[in-house]
Amino acid sequence: MNKLIPFWEFFTDPVLQASTISSMLMCLASSIMAVIVFIKRRSLIGEALSHATYPGIALSVLMCAGLFTKAPGVFPFVLLIGALISSLLGMRLITFMEEKLSVKSDSALCFVLSTFLGFGVFFASRLQFSHPIWFQKIQMFLYGQAATMLSIHVILYAILTLIIALFVVFLFYQIQAIGFDKMYTKVLGLRVNLIESLTLILIVIAVVIGIRSVGVVLMSGMLIAPAAAARQLTNNLSKMFLFSGLFGVISGFLGNYFSVNLSIYLMQVRPLWRVSLPTGPMILIVAACITFLCLILAPNRGLVTRLYRRQKFQLKVLRENILKEMYKTGSGQSFIQLGRRHRIFAPILLIVVCLMRLQGWISKENKLYILSDKGTKKACRIIRLHRLWEVYLYTHLGYLAENVHKSAEEMEHIITPNLEKKLSQLLKDPKLDPHDQIIPAGDG
Amino acid sequence: MSYWGLNFFGVIKHFFYTFASFIAGNCSIENLAIDEIQVLVLVFIGISCALIGSFLVLRKMTMLANSISHTILIGIVIAHVILQWFFFKDIEKPFQIDMQLLMLASFISSLLTLFLTDFFNRVLKLQKDASIGLVFTVLFAIGIVLVTIFTRNSHIGSEIIMGNIDMVHKDDLKIALFLLLSNVLLTVVFFKEYLITSFDSNFAKLSKISNWAFTYLLLLQTSATVIGALRAVGVVLVLALIVIPPLTARLYTNRLRSMILLACLTSALGAIIAVALSRHFLSVYGLPLSTAGLVVVCQFFIWGASVLFAPKKGVLAKYFFNAVSRVTAANPS
Repeated sequence: MNKLIPFWEFFTDPVLQASTISSMLMCLASSIMAVIVFIKRRSLIGEALSHATYPGIALSVLMCAGLFTKAPGVFPFVLLIGALISSLLGMRLITFMEEKLSVKSDSALCFVLSTFLGFGVFFASRLQFSHPIWFQKIQMFLYGQAATMLSIHVILYAILTLIIALFVVFLFYQIQAIGFDKMYTKVLGLRVNLIESLTLILIVIAVVIGIRSVGVVLMSGMLIAPAAAARQLTNNLSKMFLFSGLFGVISGFLGNYFSVNLSIYLMQVRPLWRVSLPTGPMILIVAACITFLCLILAPNRGLVTRLYRRQKFQLKVLRENILKEMYKTGSGQSFIQLGRRHRIFAPILLIVVCLMRLQGWISKENKLYILSDKGTKKACRIIRLHRLWEVYLYTHLGYLAENVHKSAEEMEHIITPNLEKKLSQLLKDPKLDPHDQIIPAGDG
Repeated sequence: MSYWGLNFFGVIKHFFYTFASFIAGNCSIENLAIDEIQVLVLVFIGISCALIGSFLVLRKMTMLANSISHTILIGIVIAHVILQWFFFKDIEKPFQIDMQLLMLASFISSLLTLFLTDFFNRVLKLQKDASIGLVFTVLFAIGIVLVTIFTRNSHIGSEIIMGNIDMVHKDDLKIALFLLLSNVLLTVVFFKEYLITSFDSNFAKLSKISNWAFTYLLLLQTSATVIGALRAVGVVLVLALIVIPPLTARLYTNRLRSMILLACLTSALGAIIAVALSRHFLSVYGLPLSTAGLVVVCQFFIWGASVLFAPKKGVLAKYFFNAVSRVTAANPS
């Protein structure tokens, strides 16, 4: 194997097929449930529940080692049931600690995950010397091994994923109502407790499907990353489910793709290293990259958009301040004078001045900037807003005349034309501000 | 092996006998049997964890301790690479926890965890639980990939998770002792600051005590303890020792000082019982069991018993209290 494998062969190649499809199914299941835990703000529950499966796995392997050595086909089912039961027990313990002992939620989660993992280690150590091969199988669950999956896993996981998807489709409105307002839903007469416990069972199922391919430790990441990414793109819950599922499937596939192909690539570059990258971490890294990109680039909530909006506003404030100042001085000003007066870094001032010239507010004559007609009108409007707001604070809110300036300095950039009209109606179109200065008329 | 073939009480008796002769000066460090080193390492680490854990539980930061327990992997890898590339030029050297690596790795992992979690939460505006979870799982994933590349083996797992208490030697005892002393020292010196920042961050601000600095110091202590305890007892056990004893102690008392002392006591007790039990199983039933796992199991049962029987907050006490008050409500005479 020295050539990179093209992506369609991941679905046709008999060796890769099972692991690719089952990782994608697993990612789909966990990313759907991720949305539900995300809107409940309990993303860390996945961490506790995935660790809580470990003693169940160890015990059921212990059972298998004793009872079912002749029938290896039963093995996946027994494991699944064992993991399910112990994870549900963990869930019960968390709710018991939170409700009956009033332990804080983070301590309860941490308690359950460490205790259960400790019990798992305890049971597993029983196997370590008596059945070393079975012990290996338990260890597999800590980090996951997608590569060893068989077609029976695909069928099993397809059924479980289908159950989860159907649950979300049929109970969508109930989930939505509980997610946003639990008390109201209870008042409506929906069976909140039943749906909540169903949700928890399904989260446990998603976890149990997942640990086989990405492992106990990384499972919790898959219950967070896709939903966090989807949340950045939309406010709509149904779209969030779709996006999250999509991201899950993509990262499931790409994780497999990279873990196989990067290993091959590394083999070519550094034949001595003999590295084979594990699938689970690659899946999670892909999912995290998607989330990170969404957090930064998302159209409404992303970091870039937020920074751009803030920068845009700051530039607006700067331009309006310069305009106001030039209007008050009356004469033209050179670039250096402007910079000194406003204490602005020269390149930024250059941008601001260029913008103002583009907008036609100022023009340049003999190296001096002077206001154009349009600029004068704009400056008048800003001063009008400033003084109107001062009047409002003075007459209606009982401010002292000497305290109103600072607030007006900020508000003059924010007041919209509509608000200006309302203000001027309310104040009966005043002519003088509290400092006895003339308020320019509305039309400049 | 002086503990071969002893049962539960025999081990405890023998341990205290050796301990007493050690105090009396009849026995030196070189003469300690591996079982005694085991008990001492477990007790030292247990007390360190209980000290840190009490504050972590109060500050609702145990999930960050859980993060640290995952991110130490990447911390160790980075520290190893830095040390080997820049100081020893020997990248092929296997991982080994010594003092330099411990210091550097704990700095790196606690800084990375706190900084990134804060960055996701504050700058990228991701909700808090999701940012904690995302950061540590991803750092752990990257850590595994790096370890795979450097050691050509992705199955470093079982050692890190369970530790290998049966292989401890005197170096581990030194590291554990160093951790214990520094944790005790820091807790005693900064007790007031920790107390104030844990309970009232606004008052801390007014008193010019940096909330951030003490949060970071606590996390630094946590990561140093986790890494120091890694080889001996593994990540799970450290986490269990951080959470369980303080929760047990919390059932008995509302005062911070007595809670910390009780937590130290329970974790030391749990360690001794666990080692004694593991010897008991080995010599009486011939079952080799993981001592680290047994410690967690013992701590859990101590907690469970406390939940049932604690004087005021216990389930039984509450039940009786309710029953009595119902009876008195029914017959006021």
